[in-house]
Amino acid sequence: MMMGKLKLDELTGEQICFQLILHSGNARSKVIQSIRAYRAGSVQKAEELLHQAEADLQQAHDIHFQMIQKEAGGEKSEFSLLLLHAEDHLMSTLTMKELVSELLELFKEKNL
Amino acid sequence: MKKILLACSSGMSTSLLVTKMEEYAHSIGDEAKIWAVGQDKAKKEMAEANVVLIGPQMSFLKGELQKEAEQYGTKVDVIDMMAYGMADGKKAYEQALSLIGD
Repeated sequence: MMMGKLKLDELTGEQICFQLILHSGNARSKVIQSIRAYRAGSVQKAEELLHQAEADLQQAHDIHFQMIQKEAGGEKSEFSLLLLHAEDHLMSTLTMKELVSELLELFKEKNL
Repeated sequence: MKKILLACSSGMSTSLLVTKMEEYAHSIGDEAKIWAVGQDKAKKEMAEANVVLIGPQMSFLKGELQKEAEQYGTKVDVIDMMAYGMADGKKAYEQALSLIGD
């Protein structure tokens, strides 16, 4: 079920948060591994890991999008510190991914 | 007494998992000490633990932590994705037990 599309209705509010942190977290690890792979001299591995990170983020984004749609439809998500924390994870990982993606391009251009 | 250390970047999500794992351990009559820390404290606290489980956001640190944990004969592993994603205390506890090897 992790790979298939998740239905929010089947999850508790807490599980939704954990799903967001899980997928963002997997992406975060891969983003860091990507830049380390580049440092270790493997451009291909670095790009592959970044693509995998993007796929993980897409899963987190899907869940997030469903939540926003639900709220737009008048059904409010229950607010919690955990949800705020999950949002932090997602947004900070998105930023990291964007930045590392730019850095890899820059390094390649400069032959670093 | 099983001593299980959970670590994630801030120790927040795993704190919740700790509560669920404790509830399960208690329900089957196990005596367990389960606690969560942020990633900075993981290396220091692992000396006290029989096993270390880490969150997905720090799986890139697994190798480094495992190396550190070898001096204590402690295993380090990433929390099972299903267990973590569903905040499943039973599954996470069982994973910890199988890593401790009993």
